Amino acid sequence: MAFWVTSSLKVFVVFSVLLAVVAFMTLAERRISAFIQDRRGPNRVGPFGILQPVADGIKNILKEETMPATANRTFFVLAPALAIVPAMLTFAVVPFAAPLVTPWGTVGMVIADIPIGILYILALASLGVYGLFLAGWASNNKYAFLGGVRSASQMVSYEVALGLSIIPVLMLTGNVTLTEMVWQQQQMGFWFVFPLSLAFVLFVISAFAETNRLPFDLPEAESELVTGYHTEYSSMKFSMFFIAEYSHILTAAALMATLFLGGWSIPLWSGDHLFWYEGMLISGFTQAGEPVAADPGWWVTLLTFLSFALKTAFFVLVFMWVRWTLPRFRYDQVMHLGWKVMLPIALGYVMGLAATVLVLDQLGVEGFLFGAILTAVSALATAIFVFVVDRGRLIAGAAVTGTDREVRSPVRRVQRPALEGSSGGAPGS
Amino acid sequence: MAATVKVMRRPEPGETSYMRATLKGMALTFKHLVNPNKVTRQYPEEQPDLSPRWRGTHRMEVHADGRPKCVACGLCPTVCPANCIRLVGGEDDQGNRYPIVYEIDEFRCIFCGMCQEVCPVEAIHVGVHFENAEYTRERFVYDLDRLMEQDHPSTLLWDPSDPRSE
Amino acid sequence: MAENSQTPESVTLTIDGQEVTVPKGTTILQAAETLGNRIPHYCYHPGLSAPAQCRLCLVEVEGAPKLQPSCITEVRDDQVVLTESEEATRQRKGVLEFYLANHPLDCPICDQSGECKLQDYVHAEGRKHGRSREPKRVFGRDDFGGDILFYGDRCVMCTRCVRFMNEMSQDPRLTVVERGNRSIIDTFFEEGVEGSPYAGNIVDICPVGALVSKDFLHKARAWDLDHKPTICPNCSQGCNIDLHVRDNRVQRLKPRANLEVNQYWMCDYGRHRYEWMNRDDRIGTPLVNRSGTQVAEDWPGALKTLSGRLEVGVRPVKAVASPFASNEDLAALRRLVDGLGGGEIVYRLPRADREIPLPGFPKLSRRKDLAPNGRGAEILGMERVGDEDGSGGLDEFSGYTGTIIVLGDELADQEPSFGEQAALYLYMGAHPTSAATQADYLLPTTTHAEQEGTFTNYEGRVQRFWPGLQGPGVARPAWLVLSALAARINGGPVPTSAAEAFMQAAEIAPEFQGLAYDSIGTRGALINEPVALPGS
Repeated sequence: MAFWVTSSLKVFVVFSVLLAVVAFMTLAERRISAFIQDRRGPNRVGPFGILQPVADGIKNILKEETMPATANRTFFVLAPALAIVPAMLTFAVVPFAAPLVTPWGTVGMVIADIPIGILYILALASLGVYGLFLAGWASNNKYAFLGGVRSASQMVSYEVALGLSIIPVLMLTGNVTLTEMVWQQQQMGFWFVFPLSLAFVLFVISAFAETNRLPFDLPEAESELVTGYHTEYSSMKFSMFFIAEYSHILTAAALMATLFLGGWSIPLWSGDHLFWYEGMLISGFTQAGEPVAADPGWWVTLLTFLSFALKTAFFVLVFMWVRWTLPRFRYDQVMHLGWKVMLPIALGYVMGLAATVLVLDQLGVEGFLFGAILTAVSALATAIFVFVVDRGRLIAGAAVTGTDREVRSPVRRVQRPALEGSSGGAPGS
Repeated sequence: MAATVKVMRRPEPGETSYMRATLKGMALTFKHLVNPNKVTRQYPEEQPDLSPRWRGTHRMEVHADGRPKCVACGLCPTVCPANCIRLVGGEDDQGNRYPIVYEIDEFRCIFCGMCQEVCPVEAIHVGVHFENAEYTRERFVYDLDRLMEQDHPSTLLWDPSDPRSE
Repeated sequence: MAENSQTPESVTLTIDGQEVTVPKGTTILQAAETLGNRIPHYCYHPGLSAPAQCRLCLVEVEGAPKLQPSCITEVRDDQVVLTESEEATRQRKGVLEFYLANHPLDCPICDQSGECKLQDYVHAEGRKHGRSREPKRVFGRDDFGGDILFYGDRCVMCTRCVRFMNEMSQDPRLTVVERGNRSIIDTFFEEGVEGSPYAGNIVDICPVGALVSKDFLHKARAWDLDHKPTICPNCSQGCNIDLHVRDNRVQRLKPRANLEVNQYWMCDYGRHRYEWMNRDDRIGTPLVNRSGTQVAEDWPGALKTLSGRLEVGVRPVKAVASPFASNEDLAALRRLVDGLGGGEIVYRLPRADREIPLPGFPKLSRRKDLAPNGRGAEILGMERVGDEDGSGGLDEFSGYTGTIIVLGDELADQEPSFGEQAALYLYMGAHPTSAATQADYLLPTTTHAEQEGTFTNYEGRVQRFWPGLQGPGVARPAWLVLSALAARINGGPVPTSAAEAFMQAAEIAPEFQGLAYDSIGTRGALINEPVALPGS
């Protein structure tokens, strides 16, 4: 009974907060973009423009719904729902604070601490592509269709790199549950961003691509495709795509925080070391391996939630910061990066790291030293990635395609017949 | 000054680094993010300084007794390149020629100011004014009464201290 | 050229280096105009005597001790005339400065602005700024009676108006009073030119804005007016006139020079009868009577059913034509009626009780027949019926049970029940009328101001007119509608232009044979020997 009560309460609260945060993220995006461009941004509705999302919402609800005459009605209506539902569901497995001890029992601050946590996330993230692709296809519009096609191929491509960049995390935690990942980072004394720095870099890049954010927003690509897959959408249906995109960002930011920045844990403080271990809340293990029971105050939950919120907010900020810094890639560059750079590097890194872990396990190295050695190895890998691989090969600009053997167009070698009447004529003609 | 060609040196493939360029760019945008000097003008509170030669919506000068200065000579509709002025002349009870109908379609108007320039009696002027919002399109056809009621300053089509723009 | 110069009546001289041969007795000014060189002048007018008092047409003649007034100096053989010499130009510049000494320069409020000779000459040759420091003398405005207003300040004392009243109207009403710079045109009596039937012409000949029309006062600017050549439709004289049109409305009528018909003049009776051309109550679309109500129909549909009903209709056809319709319209009606087996065509023509001739040019007169084309209807075998005021005469028509066709006549005197008993009643006209309420077909046609065509005037002169206004809706020229009907019933081609319609008219009217639009031109062509002037 208590399970149902707490679960439904958590679902309700988390869902509401999620939607509210998404609404305010749109305001944040506009304000930050304005600040980056030395503007002020929306500041008219309410103090500092706080009520702007409300105004936007009212406007979007009141706007006229349009549907192209030639659209596939079923899928056209279904697509926004398919886009928004997985984006919302993903958050269910993300732990957002330390467990709360109440007189009626201990409540885990996660909606569903399911044992397959990260797999659930990967599965739902893959589902998101259906919404976008259906939207593009059902609109019966060439721009929307191109946007849908691009979103499908792009998300499929980067899911590979995303999955491979998570594998090192799983190797260190030995589990796929997100609460355990937080616990492991607390136990090791390292956020995984240090021992797994290259995985972090790859994860961030892939997450950008997965959420269709600049520099990977090819499915929208205003300058080429109008607005891509949601060209034909208006009113609340358009808003749903918008909400889905920002939910994705929020989830991706929360995952970055959880996987690599210790989740809700507060750095350099052991008071928040809490873990639900075989039916009891523990703060660690004794030397003999006995669990130590914990009885934290409610304020620990609050502090850890703040920690989690800060980390997530930082990554959301990074998402926006990057968007207003980087221009969009060419489509071939995106595919090149995904398949020819990210995938081999992630594979190599997984193998290298696995070998290191195997060697360290054999040597019996544990705890802090284990983390330190991994940090050194990863730092080396990251340095190689940044200083050796990223030499005009990560993204080949238009200026260097002439000498880049991989990108050089075979068309240039085609012998063309000499133009009649042209002076001189081609040699050999 | 002789024309010169600036030769742009494009980086060779091995010299570029996307990650470092990204970080540099993000450093630049962050500098702007925290830059307190904004270029936005808080418009209704901060009014822009319009040039005295700004050409905005029209106004009609009036005599001391409230009659329009216009004598319906027909030069402004003739010179108007947008054909936005409608004028019907007539004679008032004092025997003076005056405009019975004087309408300017401010939607059609291209604000070239030639009506003001051509006016022989300094009656029609383009004004230093730009806040023209209305709820209906019809309201943008300014009739004579409306033009006479406008109270914004008239445009100086040239700088009185520098009439030849030297 | 050499051949001409040997005939005794010809004189060859050089004007500005160009040799020209003109008949003996020609003035230098007229000779220069044959070269396209218009020497500035005010007092000279081709239709009036030349007093040589404006001093603006002075030109240098080699051998003459001083500048000669070109308007009265007759040409002589081997004369060498310089109109653009330094002396002549200096002279004109000086004269113009004197003219402007007292001119109010109120061009913005002057109706003449844009067609003002003073404006033109000063812009071309005058000083940029006046040097006179004296206050300008002020006369103010004077009502000359009738349609005429006089602005004394603008007057340049060319006395064209005085001479017109004396020589052409032979009704001296105006004179010059006072002397020097106080001299001014004035009337003898209070009534001024009131009642003088040709007084409107003094507005036309006034080179500046001193004499203006009350009717046109402040109505339009000269440069906004399109000048559309046409024929005055108000009497059978057939004066050549221009419609001055702005915004598809006739603003005023002006005479167009035709030395054979009206010289440079027209009467006030015709001048002020143009408002009907601007009438807005028009038949906008073909109407077909369907069980009691007239409903709109498109042309092909209306013509299809109408031609069918005409073909099987009761014979003989009775038709009422209008003397305001063009030769082409009337001929097309004649063809249609003949094609339906023949029938009676009548027309009614209002007639004035007296003519009003211009004494200085008696060939120009307001004729008794107050319609332009009674002669054309007569040629096409139509019969004039009715009273002197253009009413009555249709007793056999109003109750006729056969086919009735009405073209143009508004039937103002007829009851709304006109044509009630008719098996088929076709009304063609521009304006709706109560006598057409029973019409089975009501077809909109253009007025003469909106179409091309010809009129035949009292003396048998066929004269062309051109469209000046844009017709409303789907109104079409009557000749096109009638020819289309005739072609549906009897076959044959439908004329595509008024010129072709006239060629078809020539086929049924021998008087028109040998004429074509090109040969008629802008001056008209006689279809009979010239009529002798009364009294000459």
